[in-house]
Amino acid sequence: MWQQVKQALVDSTTRFLTRFVSLLPGLAALIVALFLSAILAWILAAIARRLLTSLHFDERLARRGFASPAESSPMNSPTRLVSRSLAALVLLSGFLIGIAAFDFQWTSLFIQSIIAYIPNVLAACLLLFVGNIVARFIARSVLIGAVNLNLQYARFLSIGIKWLVIVLTVAMALEHLKIAPGVVELAFGILFGGIVLSLALAVGLGSKEFVTKSLERDVQKAPGEPRSEPVEEDPLRHL
Amino acid sequence: METEAIPQLVQEQIDSADLVVGLIAQFDSDILAKTYSALQALPDPLRIAVVDNGQAESEALAKPLADETESTAAAKNRATVFHLASPWTKPEAGAPGVRMAAAYESVFAVAEKLKARGCCVIASSLENVTPGWAWQLAEPLFQGEVDLVLPHYARRKFEGLLNNGIIAPLLRALYGKRVNNPMGPDFAVSQRLLQKMLAAKTSRSVNGSRRHPLASLTPTALCENLQLAEVHLGPRIYAPVDWTGLSSVLADVLGPVFLDMERNAPCWQRTRASATVRTIGEPVILDTDAGSVEAARMVESFQLGNRELQEIWALVLPPSTLFELRKLARLSLEQFHMPDELWVRIVYDFALAHRLRTINRDHLLRSMTPLYLAWVASYAQDVKASGVASPERRLERLSVAYEVGKSYLVSRWRWPDRFNP
Repeated sequence: MWQQVKQALVDSTTRFLTRFVSLLPGLAALIVALFLSAILAWILAAIARRLLTSLHFDERLARRGFASPAESSPMNSPTRLVSRSLAALVLLSGFLIGIAAFDFQWTSLFIQSIIAYIPNVLAACLLLFVGNIVARFIARSVLIGAVNLNLQYARFLSIGIKWLVIVLTVAMALEHLKIAPGVVELAFGILFGGIVLSLALAVGLGSKEFVTKSLERDVQKAPGEPRSEPVEEDPLRHL
Repeated sequence: METEAIPQLVQEQIDSADLVVGLIAQFDSDILAKTYSALQALPDPLRIAVVDNGQAESEALAKPLADETESTAAAKNRATVFHLASPWTKPEAGAPGVRMAAAYESVFAVAEKLKARGCCVIASSLENVTPGWAWQLAEPLFQGEVDLVLPHYARRKFEGLLNNGIIAPLLRALYGKRVNNPMGPDFAVSQRLLQKMLAAKTSRSVNGSRRHPLASLTPTALCENLQLAEVHLGPRIYAPVDWTGLSSVLADVLGPVFLDMERNAPCWQRTRASATVRTIGEPVILDTDAGSVEAARMVESFQLGNRELQEIWALVLPPSTLFELRKLARLSLEQFHMPDELWVRIVYDFALAHRLRTINRDHLLRSMTPLYLAWVASYAQDVKASGVASPERRLERLSVAYEVGKSYLVSRWRWPDRFNP
């Protein structure tokens, strides 16, 4: 009896050690892959940072309506964001290579599903990028137009429009990533509707006096009746 | 009111003309008929081709009165007037600036095709255009060695402010000639200048953008060392100001001017000081009472712009200018005064930002509107404070400030990154 127990224990220890030893090359490969990818990521990030700094990437983006360098600290400048994203991408690739070294069925399935998901991630990133540019361009157009129309709530209008576009873009990106599509749809509807309602209320309340005056003027004046008060013509001529 | 029909119009294919007259504005048939009569009554036996926007065809050409041929006109030693069908096909398409440019180019193309010695364009509302305007403008082309005849309108103090505040003093400082209306819009050009403009149009353009005929008119003539003259034409009627469209007007007008500045940089960087141009005719004095201007509204617009557009202006203007603007925004209406030097630097900085494409060009020009209104308000306050005879002196002071500030422009133009006070 004791002999049998001893044999079972030896067998299980042998099996465990055999499996563990068979894992070791994969583990070593994972560590080496992570180590190499970390070095590569650091080098690439440094190159990217230097290149983008020499190209005045932050200033160029600021000119196109992205956060100006004054607003963003050096720790989260666009240059740093790009270089860190690049480093993270290299590290992720190293991790996937290391995982693949284990040569298990589940690791290959895992990698296959990740690779199949990459186009969705890229499309979502592209959507976010384009959406951000469009949102900022439209926001700037609205801000300038509203200021030139002498609207006191120009800034609010501009920010509202910007967030409308950003919310729409994020919803589209999440839809593309297939992350909780039902929740995204619902959240998008609530957020979008909320922004539109708050904009409508703000503009409506802000223009209340203007609309009242305009309506009063129209009601007081019968159709076809000439204007009772002579209107002094503005002598300004720009051209 | 019964309209006077257009007399003797020979509508046929012609292969040459001495003068091409382009009528671009909307007009009524009475004025049109008088203009035709005035041209026909010219003492010189010229062949004059009139190009209009097509209205004459429908309203007047349907009932020609006289039946006079070229030979009888020549026998009487008078001008022969030909009518050409409208060369521009879609007058309603595109933005106003684009439509105007297309109309001018069409008239120029007709003049080139007919090998005309001169080309005159009338673009002002014909309500106040006297029938003699066309010949007043064109005559110096035939009488003397003049290549570009520009109008000198009689203006009240609040008329033509965009021209007086930016375009005329800017081009005076750049090209060294004191021209009152460098962009017309009514003018006459010689065959020589026309050929140079058409050649420049077909040559390589800056960033692939098209030349605007009005913006490149005076700079081309001055850079090619051609002769200019101004003619006193009297008052001009202006369309009422549309406050909502002011930013579009700024973008439409200043865009081509800044583009042309970029093209002619080698030419204007050589020019120093300014000289007067020959003026023909007697100036017309208008009554100076031009009403009052609501400066408060313009100051409010500027203050709103100063509050909300700082992030855009900060990309265009140096910190010292932004500081000055912040100080200006805190002043009350009574104290409101924008120094000429500040305004001149703003205009120069916007021209530079337009060249460097610091931000989208349309955004850039439209964001200038509150600053322009601040200048207009300051000008209105100055003119109001200093009396009747002051507008000319006030504008002359501004023009001198543009000339003095040119060194700043040249420095920033040559070293945009290094020179940033």
